[in-house]
Amino acid sequence: MVEQATKMKRLINAIWIFNWFNSCGFTELVPVVGSRWDMERFGMVITGTPRHADVLFIAGYQTLKSIRRAQVIYEQMPDPKAVIAMGACTMSGGMYWDSYNTVKRLEDYIPVTIYIPGCPPRPEAVFEACMKIFHHVGAVPPHGKKFAKAHSG
Amino acid sequence: MLRKENKVIEDVSAKFKIAGNVQRERRVWVTIDKDNLVALCSFLKGLGFEHLSAISVTDWPQEGTFELTYHLWSYSEKILLTVKTKLDRANPCVDSVISVWRENAQIHERELHELFGVKFEGNGDLTPLFLEGWDGPPPFRKDFNWREYARQQHYDKSNERERAYYD
Repeated sequence: MVEQATKMKRLINAIWIFNWFNSCGFTELVPVVGSRWDMERFGMVITGTPRHADVLFIAGYQTLKSIRRAQVIYEQMPDPKAVIAMGACTMSGGMYWDSYNTVKRLEDYIPVTIYIPGCPPRPEAVFEACMKIFHHVGAVPPHGKKFAKAHSG
Repeated sequence: MLRKENKVIEDVSAKFKIAGNVQRERRVWVTIDKDNLVALCSFLKGLGFEHLSAISVTDWPQEGTFELTYHLWSYSEKILLTVKTKLDRANPCVDSVISVWRENAQIHERELHELFGVKFEGNGDLTPLFLEGWDGPPPFRKDFNWREYARQQHYDKSNERERAYYD
């Protein structure tokens, strides 16, 4: 429990984010970044490198090619770490459900902590998900967790 | 009117015995068989068509052909010239125009080889451009049933959440 409390404290102080956005992904987060909802008032900062990040934001449909890069990014993040997947396409392929090269089950490829449904999700939903990370921090996978479908390079 | 466009067609038909037509101002179409394609391209580059804007493939499964379309641009004449040729769909093989436009042609041919399975003889690097670990048929062919492919590769019919994808 002490370990979990330490993890929580670190996350609660400030969520540093690394973005992995395909297609329309970043436009879904833009309202959260902008002045109206302004995530920086909660200490949420977008980092320039995954090595500084606590949370990986994934949005937009993921392709079989890009998901391998996301896996490398995830591996580079220090523990404790969490993954938040935003939007319909990220969760299930969305309108690209029958495409031959999009990811349909993101959790097969990367350990997702929280899904935020929506197209796009409301900024309030994004903040709620960020709050819920603290309740689920025990579920953050331990270091060295293997991917169900691993990248090979 | 259309003097320079007609001049291009005259030059081409004098040398290759093929017809072309002027679509409208600055737009010219020429059709050729695939054996004379590289010779024609080389001749057209000499006429000033220095820029290969794009190569595209049209799939005609009922006819059993692939139609290759080369879009050429002349900076001096300001003409967009379209060269069309047809290939046998069962054995889509054509000589590469890399000898004419070099790297300009290389990336287009590489893409079309990946997406349609057209083989460009003489192009040394036709490795996949977008797909990684792909073992299905070339995905842009019209007879490729991508929905069925996705069902088989990515979904599980016994999964409650995914059964709807089979309805």
